[in-house]
Amino acid sequence: MIKLSQIRKSFGRNEVLKGIDLTVKRGEVVAILGPSGSGKTTLLRCINYLEKPSAGGITIGDFRFDYKNHGKKDVHALRQKSAMVFQQYNLFRHKTALENVMEGLVIVQKVPKEEARERGIELLEKVGLGGRLNAYPNELSGGQQQRVGIARALALNPEVILFDEPTSALDPELVGEVLAVIRHIAQEGITMIIVTHEMAFAQDVANHVVFMDGGVIVEEGDPKQLFRSPKEERTKQFLKRITPESAYSI
Amino acid sequence: MKLDFEFIWTAFVALLGAVPTSLAITVVSVSCGFLIGTAVALSRHFRIPVISQVGTAYVTFIRGTPMITHLLLIYFGLPILVDAAAESLGIGFRSVSIPMIGFAYIAFSITAGAYMSEVVRSGLLAVNRGQLEAAYSVGMTTPQALRRIVLPQALAASLPNLSNMLIGMLHGSTLAFTVSVVEINAKAQIVATTNWKFFEAYLAAALLFWGLTFIIERLTALAEKRFRLNDRGGVSS
Repeated sequence: MIKLSQIRKSFGRNEVLKGIDLTVKRGEVVAILGPSGSGKTTLLRCINYLEKPSAGGITIGDFRFDYKNHGKKDVHALRQKSAMVFQQYNLFRHKTALENVMEGLVIVQKVPKEEARERGIELLEKVGLGGRLNAYPNELSGGQQQRVGIARALALNPEVILFDEPTSALDPELVGEVLAVIRHIAQEGITMIIVTHEMAFAQDVANHVVFMDGGVIVEEGDPKQLFRSPKEERTKQFLKRITPESAYSI
Repeated sequence: MKLDFEFIWTAFVALLGAVPTSLAITVVSVSCGFLIGTAVALSRHFRIPVISQVGTAYVTFIRGTPMITHLLLIYFGLPILVDAAAESLGIGFRSVSIPMIGFAYIAFSITAGAYMSEVVRSGLLAVNRGQLEAAYSVGMTTPQALRRIVLPQALAASLPNLSNMLIGMLHGSTLAFTVSVVEINAKAQIVATTNWKFFEAYLAAALLFWGLTFIIERLTALAEKRFRLNDRGGVSS
C-alpha cells in the first residue's frame, strides 16, 4: 500500500500542490486526471523524488519517508521503490534496448549480467520487442521506445510503476500499441499510478480515478461512478470538455 | 634566395628528436586539464556552493590572461612558494630540483583546465535533463548516474571541441621554450643557428606540426565514428 500524506510543493511563490492525501492499494491501477497545470505530473514526480516537496510524507509498504526530514540514503531507498515511465521516454540514448532494460538491474540491483540479460530479453519479448533487442533508441519509433521504457520500469520489479502521460508525445497511430501494453501489465496485478489524458483508457483500465485541479484532489472514486455521475461541478465541466471519442482501441 | 631542400630534410629529422617532449607537454596538460575541467564543469553545472564560485573565478582569470603569462607566473612564483613551504616543514627539497619541463606541465595544465571546463560544460548542457532523471528513476545514485549515463554522452558531444583543445595545446606547447624546454619549435631554432637557415628549419617545424595535427584529426574522426555511430550520442561501455 502507498500512502501520501499532506504533500505540498511550491515553485517559487506558486503553490502547485496544496496538501495532497492519496492512498493506493496494492495491485490497484490509479488514473490521475485533470487540466494542465493542475499539479498531477508534479505529484507523480514527488513519489519518485524527481521533485522535492516542501512538506509531507509517503509510506510505501513499511517504508516511511518524510519529505522534510531525511538523509541521502532514504532518497536512494525511496527511488528504488518506484519506477517511472516518462512522457518523453528518456531511454539512455547511448545504450541498446536490451542495455536500457539491464542497466538498473546490473548497476543498482547488482543482478549478475547473464541473469539480467535473460530477464531483459524476456521483458522486451513481453512488450513485443523481442526482435529489436540491439536497436538504439534513435532507431526505434516513439511507440517502440515507450515500450522499452515500460520494460525498463518492469525490470526493476518496483512496488509501483509511475506513468507520466505515457502516450502524450506519440503520434496518434502509435498510442494504441503502448496502451495495449500498459493494459496487459495492469492485468498482472502490478500497482500503477497513471497520469493521462486518455479518458477512455482511464475508464477501462483504472480501478480508481483521481481528478485534480488547482493543486488539490477535487474528486476521486470508482471510474464508472466518476465518469458517469461526477459530484463536483469542476469535474463535470472538465469531463464535458473532453471529447469522448479517443484514440484508444485495442 | 634559394630554398635548401636538403637542409629542410636534415632539420626535419633533427626535429623528430623533440617530438616526445612536445607530445609529453600536450598529453600531460590536456589530461590534467581534463580532470580539472571536469571537476570545475560539474561543480558549476550542479551549482555546488563555494566550489562553483571558486571554479568560475578560476575560469575567468585563466581565460582572461595569456598562456605565456601563466607559464611565467608559475616559473617565477612557484619556486618561492615551494621553498617557503619546504623550509617551514623542514623538508630538504628545494625548487632548483624541479625540472624545467615540470613548470610547463603545471602551468599548461592550469591553462588547459580553464578552457577544458567550458568544453566539458558544453557537453553536459548537450545532455538532456531527462537522461539524469531516468537514471535516478531506475534507482541510481548521482555518481552512478554521472559515470554511467551523463558523462559518456557529454564526452561524445564534446569530441569536436576536445580535438580542438588537443591541437591548441600541441601548438601552445611551443611556449615552453620560454623556460628553456627544447620542444619542436625550439629545436628548429637550435638547428638553424648552425647555418642560419632559419626559414628551412621553421618550414620543417611547420610540416612536422601539420603532420602531428593531421594525426590528431584522423584519430578524432575515428573516435567520432565509433562513439556517434547512429547518432547514439554516447561513449558505449
